[in-house]
Amino acid sequence: MTWRLTFASAFEAVQWHKLRSLLTMVGILIGITAVMITVGIGEGAQATVAKQIESLGSNLLSVTPGSSSSTSGVRGGLGSATTLSMQDANALANPNVAPAISEVAPIFGGSETLSNGTTTWTTSIEGSTPSWLSVRARSIEAGRFITNQDVQSNAPVIVLGALTAQELFGGSNPVGQTIDVKSTPMTVIGVLTPIGSGSSAQANQDDLGIVPVSTAQLYFSKASSGSSLQGILVKAKSSTDLSAAYQEINHELLMLHQISSPANADFTVTAEQSIVSAATSVSTTLTYLLGSVAAISLLVGGIGVMNIMLVSVSERTREIGLRKALGATRVDIRRQFLIEAAILGLSGGVIGVALGELGQRMLPRVIGYAISIPAFATIGSMVVAITIGLGFGVYPAARAARLSPLDALRSE
Amino acid sequence: MDLAKVLEAEDSLVEEDLVVSTVPLVELKEVSKTYRLGTVTVEALKGVSITINEGEYVAIIGPSGSGKSTLMHLIGCLDSPSGGDYILASESVAELADDKLADIRNRRIGFIFQQFNLLAPMSALRNVELPLMYAGVDRKERRERATIALERVGLGSRANHKPTELSGGQQQRVAIARALVVNPSLLLADEPTGNLDSVAAREVLEIFEELHKSGRTIIVITHDDEVARHADRIIHIRDGKLQEAS
Repeated sequence: MTWRLTFASAFEAVQWHKLRSLLTMVGILIGITAVMITVGIGEGAQATVAKQIESLGSNLLSVTPGSSSSTSGVRGGLGSATTLSMQDANALANPNVAPAISEVAPIFGGSETLSNGTTTWTTSIEGSTPSWLSVRARSIEAGRFITNQDVQSNAPVIVLGALTAQELFGGSNPVGQTIDVKSTPMTVIGVLTPIGSGSSAQANQDDLGIVPVSTAQLYFSKASSGSSLQGILVKAKSSTDLSAAYQEINHELLMLHQISSPANADFTVTAEQSIVSAATSVSTTLTYLLGSVAAISLLVGGIGVMNIMLVSVSERTREIGLRKALGATRVDIRRQFLIEAAILGLSGGVIGVALGELGQRMLPRVIGYAISIPAFATIGSMVVAITIGLGFGVYPAARAARLSPLDALRSE
Repeated sequence: MDLAKVLEAEDSLVEEDLVVSTVPLVELKEVSKTYRLGTVTVEALKGVSITINEGEYVAIIGPSGSGKSTLMHLIGCLDSPSGGDYILASESVAELADDKLADIRNRRIGFIFQQFNLLAPMSALRNVELPLMYAGVDRKERRERATIALERVGLGSRANHKPTELSGGQQQRVAIARALVVNPSLLLADEPTGNLDSVAAREVLEIFEELHKSGRTIIVITHDDEVARHADRIIHIRDGKLQEAS
């Protein structure tokens, strides 16, 4: 019998037993839909987490003075050494020197007391350059940010975090007002858009003040560290440029500091990307967990196919026997039953994928974040559905093929 | 194969009325069959030799348990003998493999069963087409040949009826059409009237009569003397052995 006829016969047989076929499909489709939705939720959650961290600056590298390596020699501890200078920051900002770097923000500052009349508030003050805003992925809510002009002229100006502004000025508009910062009068030129507090381990990102780096160096320098920077924030052009940027920083700073061996570096470069990896790996684990639960339901669906096919074989013993008496070979019979199982698997798969896609559209309204079902999950589900149909159809089909036409015709 | 021509040739033979040749179609040589039921071995056939020539109308008759069903299964290539040889149309089929037997059944033998064994969801026409599907005949020719076969048994107008919409006699006639459609060497009927009332049974036997006159070789297995009486030759079987009487 030709493939085409076998297909037709199989399709016909599936149609003859509508209810049974439908129930079998339901088993498969629930499994497929479950897999798709869980993978989709996992991917969606991952994307959401990645996006949130991206907003903190996932392309970010931070350079801190001192070394984390434990080689001998007198060296300051991590963060407390005095090895980073504005010269370093300017060199990294040069696109000819470091093409993978898009923005560089030096950080010089510390915890200072701010006062507006009798109201005082202690917060961290960061001296930086206009690049700070984009490196930190922040924006201005009112007024303006510091400019290069401010940096060049050591201007006594300050940009406040939303919370800081609230603490010092209550409800009134702080822009244009003057406050004392470590007894130096400074003009408030802008307020940052609040982003809410970061994770509990981090300082509240809305409670800070930004001043030009030169101003900070002028007024807040301590005798111990002079005007050396506490750190340099570096933003790579993209997350794929991170490792290139990392190498450029190491190379350039080693050269500037005249250090020949990277092991003796007097600075440390760390990537915030590692935070992203950690967070994504958590949600990946979650996806695997949910996915495997869904896969089990798919397996149950597959066993359902097998069960139904076995019932079908014993119920159709007579039909099989007749077909054999009329000239059907083992191959003909086996093929027909396999194709029937594959049809059940595939139809279950198609409907399951359709429901999965529907879920992708409907569910976000309920759970509040996007579900993204990757193409591989959709295609994979279909392939798995057919494979399950075929895989679990092999045994029943073999049993059908083995039936003797005699047994078949005898059975009542 | 142009069936219309074949049928025409057969019709011309009807007028001559005598078509029994001496060319052997079925040759059983000392055929035995033993079954093993657990520890007990049952000898269903004990060295049976039969020769049936082309064009013969033979009844094999015997009480239940006589071995006549086993004999029918062997002649129909549904089963293989334990000993002896079986030559069907000059070809030894005793030792053939499963799939080869399927091919022999498809080309050589038209089965007619007591239970009709029609597939319920299919129309009469589709049922008749079934053996042609396994023979690899294309759709157009299948349809043509099935239609001719149905007309032959007087059911041309019922081609699109499902078996449940047909009477028992009509169902058995569809089964006869299905047996005829591959133009087999041998029609093998197993209690063909067992499930029919006397009127329908007579119709079926009349069709056998006509087919015989047109040169078909027919073997009917039955326990009913009335049915056997229509055949030219009656073979009695009892306890797995032949007791032939003409």
